[in-house]
This record gives sequence, C-alpha cells and structure tokens, in this order.
Amino acid sequence: MACKQKGRTASDSRTAKDMVMVLYITESGPNSVRAVANLEAICKEHSQHNFRLEIIDVLQYPLRALADGVVVTPSLAKLFPLPAATVVGSLSDKSGVLRALGIAE
Amino acid sequence: MDRAIPLTSPGPPGTDVERSFKKAILRVVKGGPARLAIEAGEIDAIIDPGSGNAILLPAAQRALIERKAGFRSLVGLAFDWYWELDERYRFISHQGASDDADGFAEEGMIGKTLWDLSIDNMSDADWRTHRQQLEWRAIFRDLEIRRVGRTGEVRYLSTSGEPIFDDRNQFKGYRGITRDITERRQAEALMRDPPRFDRAIVDALEAPIAVLDETGAVLTTNQAWRTLVTTHPGAGTGVAVGSNYLVVWDGACGDERVDGKSIAAGIRQVLAAERAVFRYECACNSPSERSWFALSVTGMSGNDPARAVVSYEDITERKRGELLLGLELTVARCLADADTATVALLSVIRAICETQGWDCGRYFCMDQSAGVLRFVESWGISSAVIEQFLAKSRGMVFRPGAGLAGRVYQSAQPLWRLDGPRGARGSSMALAPETSKSGAYVFPVTVDDKVIGVLDFCGSKVREPDDHMLHALRSIGSQLGRFLLRQQAVNTLRVNEMRFRVLTNLASDWHWEQDGNFRLTQVVGCSPFGTPDVLGLTHWDVPLVVADAGWAEHKSQLAARWSFCDFELTIAHAEGKRAHYSISGEPVYDEAGVFTGYCGIGIDITLRKRAEIELRESEARLRARLAR
Repeated sequence: MACKQKGRTASDSRTAKDMVMVLYITESGPNSVRAVANLEAICKEHSQHNFRLEIIDVLQYPLRALADGVVVTPSLAKLFPLPAATVVGSLSDKSGVLRALGIAE
Repeated sequence: MDRAIPLTSPGPPGTDVERSFKKAILRVVKGGPARLAIEAGEIDAIIDPGSGNAILLPAAQRALIERKAGFRSLVGLAFDWYWELDERYRFISHQGASDDADGFAEEGMIGKTLWDLSIDNMSDADWRTHRQQLEWRAIFRDLEIRRVGRTGEVRYLSTSGEPIFDDRNQFKGYRGITRDITERRQAEALMRDPPRFDRAIVDALEAPIAVLDETGAVLTTNQAWRTLVTTHPGAGTGVAVGSNYLVVWDGACGDERVDGKSIAAGIRQVLAAERAVFRYECACNSPSERSWFALSVTGMSGNDPARAVVSYEDITERKRGELLLGLELTVARCLADADTATVALLSVIRAICETQGWDCGRYFCMDQSAGVLRFVESWGISSAVIEQFLAKSRGMVFRPGAGLAGRVYQSAQPLWRLDGPRGARGSSMALAPETSKSGAYVFPVTVDDKVIGVLDFCGSKVREPDDHMLHALRSIGSQLGRFLLRQQAVNTLRVNEMRFRVLTNLASDWHWEQDGNFRLTQVVGCSPFGTPDVLGLTHWDVPLVVADAGWAEHKSQLAARWSFCDFELTIAHAEGKRAHYSISGEPVYDEAGVFTGYCGIGIDITLRKRAEIELRESEARLRARLAR
C-alpha cells in the first residue's frame, strides 16, 4: 500500500485494545507537519494504548481521502474503537484530540 | 502522480481575489469544524469532491515550492549531469555542472542515443543488454561508461535512469543522472594494483635502479637500468632480473677488476646491514668513449625480500671536468720540470693522451724559412699499429691550409673528426692522408694568438669536445707555445754564448773571474799561473808578479768599477827571465745591480814585449852609432 504508516496498518489483525487511526496530510504542508509531530507526542505520552496509525498523503491519494469522507488536511480519523471521530487541523489542541480519541487526560 | 492543484494566490486580505478564493473554498467545505480550521489557518489542502483533486492552500503551496527547490538543490549536489530521453531513447535535454567538462555536450548529444556517443568500454553485447533494459522499462543504476576525449583524457561516467510515464501510463522516455567518477576509478585502479603503480613510478625515474635481495640477486630493475646496458656495456650494467649482482662484480676483470672487488665488498656490507649506504665512483669503458658513474647502494628493511637498492648516477661530465683540470696542472708541472723542448713535448703529449684515452699525439712546428709545418715530436701507446703510424709521420710536412693540421694552423681554431658519421668539424677527406685512426683532434699551439705549431691527436675514443675541453686544450696550447718560445730563446742565447766563448778563446789565452774583493775565483785557459795556486789571490798578490807603479793606478780603476783594457803585468821567473802579459776586464753586476766582481781575459805578450825591447835596444844602438 502506497502510504506512510506508523506501526501496523489498519488492515492488520487488531485486538480489542488497539486504537486504529488514519491521519490525512499534505506532505510538506506546515500544518500537516505539525499535526504529525503533535500526534507523535500524544501517542508517546499515552503509550499504554496500542495505537495503530496510518498516514495518507492526499497529494498522492486524494480519492482515498474522499472515499473516507475527508475534504481537508490535516485530518485525524479515529476508526476504532467506536464511536468514530474526526479531528481537523494541526492537532495542537491536545485536550480536544484526547477527547476525540476517548482518552482521559 | 501529483494531483495537487495549487490555487492562485488569494491576494491581499480584503481584495476581490481574496474574497472569491474564500468563497470557492467554503463552497467545497461544508462542515463547521473544517471551516473553523480554515479560518484559523490550520488547513493545508482541500480535496475537491467534484474533481478529485487536492487544492493546496497558499501556505502549503509555498512550503511545497520551497521544499521542491531544496530537494532540487540537494539532488544537484549528488550528480554532475541531469538528462532526459524521449521514447526512442534519444537525448532531448541535459543540464548540469559538468556540461562543459564531460565533452559530450560539445559532441552534440541532443538527438543521439547513448550508444551513438563516443564510448569505448561498451561492447555490442553490453549495448544489447542495456537496450533490453530500456525496452523492459527497467530502472538502471550506475551504468559505467568510459569516454576518451579529444585530448586523450580518459573520463569515467556513471549514469542511472528511470522510465517516465504520462497520465495514461504511456511510456514517454527516460530521465536520469550522470556522475563523473574518473577520480574514484583512478584511485580504485591504484588501490587494486599497487605493485603496478610502484613499478610505474620506478620506471619513471631517470636514474637506473635495481633492487637486490639478501643474496645479491636482482629482484627488479627499472627502465633506465635496462637502457643502460645498451648505452654503457660493462660490469654491473648488464645484470638482468634473476642474475646475481654480487657475482658479476666478483668476476670483474681487466680495468674493472679493482673496482669490482671494492664494490662487491661494499654491497655485502649493506646487505649485512653493517652500513646504511655504500657509494663508489667507477669508470665504464665503451668502445666509443669512457663514462663515469657514481654507484650508490642503499640498504632496505622490512618484511619483503628486498634488501638493497642499487642506483647509478652519470657523473661523466663532472669527471671530465676534473680530468681536464688535472691535465692542465700536469702540463704545467711537465713544462716546469722539462729542460728541453723535446722533453716537454713528449711529456705533454703523453699526459694528454693518457688523460683523454687517445692513442697517440704528434707535434708539428711551423718552419718559417720553409713555410711548412714540420713533424717534430710524437708519443703513442705501445702498439705496433701506432708505432708504424708514428714512424710514417716522421718527415711529414704540411703546407698551411693543407690537411687538418694545415687548416688548424691557418685558422688558429681547433678541428676534430669523430668516428664515422659522428664526425663534426673536419672532413674525413682532409684527414685521411694524415692518420690511419678513426678519430682525430688537432689544436693550435700559440703565442699571443700567433700559431707556432699544431698538436695532432688520434684515437678511437675521440669525442665531440665540450666547452670545458675546448677551453682546457686552448690553455694547454698557449702554455706549451710560451714554453717552446722561451726554450727557443734560451737555445739562441746558448748558441750565441757558445759562439762568443769560442771567439773569446781565439782572441785570448785565458779568461778569469774575480769576486767583489778582486780575488781570482776562476782561471780558465793557458794562464801563466798555476790555477790552484792563484785562486783566492788578487792579480797583484800572485807570486813572481813584479810590483811597479802601474798597480796603484789599476787598483784605483778597480775601486771605481771601471773597465780596463790591456793592463800589462810582468812576471819575473826564478832563472831571471821575464814574461809579459796583458789583462782586460769588465765589472760584473747581479740582477739587482750589486757589484759582484770582475771578469776578463789575459794574453801572453812576452814575444811582443821582447820584440819591442829588442827594437828599442836596436834603435838605441843605432842612435848611438849615428851620434858617434
């Protein structure tokens, strides 16, 4: 699959404790770069969770984003566990991100 | 595939352009959070659901442009040349730092395929393989090509390429990069084959070099060493790889025997690490000339078998200069020691022959009365041929301008003839009647630029004279000329003295010499005094000399250093007879003008005096008779 991935892809076998996310970015876009960095920091801070992150560059795969209902980048989509959630922007609002992911601060 | 569509700049805030841009964006983005994020400037791109394209927002657009520029810059550092091919593999563009350097550009590569260019390391099979790769649209990496430029410079290039496809996945050609890897290739070649590199360096050295192992066997030689044997055959120079250098010197014979023993001993010391360096100067005789070499043997240490390096330095020029200087001194000494012209000529000719390695020399003197150059003296090595040649030379004469000797006399310039075609100044035709040898050197003997004779040398080792030799032989000719002229003057003086002495003897009975106190120091001839008895006495103290008034006047003349003539003295013998003598003398002075005595002659005038006495007595008797 031609996309950037962190850890294993979403299609890999996952457990009930896994949190599956997709980050849609525009490579080299300043907000996308910041979003990747912010999400990395959050994942590291809450490493007790088993994060499964897939990063997709919409410049290469715009149709994938449209298929997932994403129209702006950067956008973080939490796919699992339900309920699904989407965060738009550079993910600099850490509380908002954790809230969307269902992680207690 | 890049499907981003950068929007045109939204323009300054508040302008129509900016407003229409936002309107277009908000038409696409309907969600509240997304709109808020756009307003907050936290969005990089929007995906247009209608077209499926990503639309870059201005900040992301600028970042992408900067990133591409940076990437291009970095890529530019990694290669020398970027190129593109069309679908038929023909170059359609090229650019890069080495456009001017690699030579392809000047060859005109646009429109040509890679295999149309001047590349000399790819065989037909190699090109077939490469073209197959292209047909398969495969990425190729580091295809190494070698190109020889117009100046003969070899350049190595490494080229890599990947296929290009359009939106419809149609093949459009190739694009790729080329790097100049010449320096790397050369360095790798040196690293791969260091012995070959070392050999190239050794071969490039001007000095002949051989490397010996601990037994003296030659391990390797350089090109100059191998050439030396062809130009200077002799002991030590013809030793090939595998031969033992020590054995060659041990077996040296003839003139090289002494050198061989010394050199072998020195090399053994170096091989045994008893000394670090051994140097020796030795002569090398070839049929045409004599050369000198400074042999140097330097010890080596290490794990390899090499133990010593032998090198030769040609010191012939220096040696010849030293020999010529020595020759000038030898000639000066010969002339100082010689008391005759013959002795001087023989010693000088011999010294020149022995120093220069010539076989014989002859001196022709100008006979002014006859107007010809006449053979005077010669010297030659002990050889039947040379002796025969010199014997034929006796009585030989040359007119000025005739033959080599005559031409030298006329021009006052040296002439020489070398062996065969090496001849320079002097035709063989001119020399042929004079010599039987292959080479000759003739130079003038001069006095104040006037030629009084010529020296003619013959030998098989006559070489082209250099400035040192010309100067030395000119100096020798001048020294010899002055000596011969002086000797000629001495001979003339001696002859004149002899003639004068003979005349003196005819005109007097004896001659005498006195010291400063007028005491006789020498009495030669028929003197009336017994010689041993009168030496140390003055004339007036000689026994039996009659003292009379005349002596006082004579003494006053002597005291005044006057010459005197016909002073008469009388000796009264015991039996009563008287003898009469006349002496004449001249004062003698030394070179400093100091009076040293008198010299003069004596004549027995007894008969004349007796006749005078008898005449006076007869006259007296006649007068008396007449008076009576």
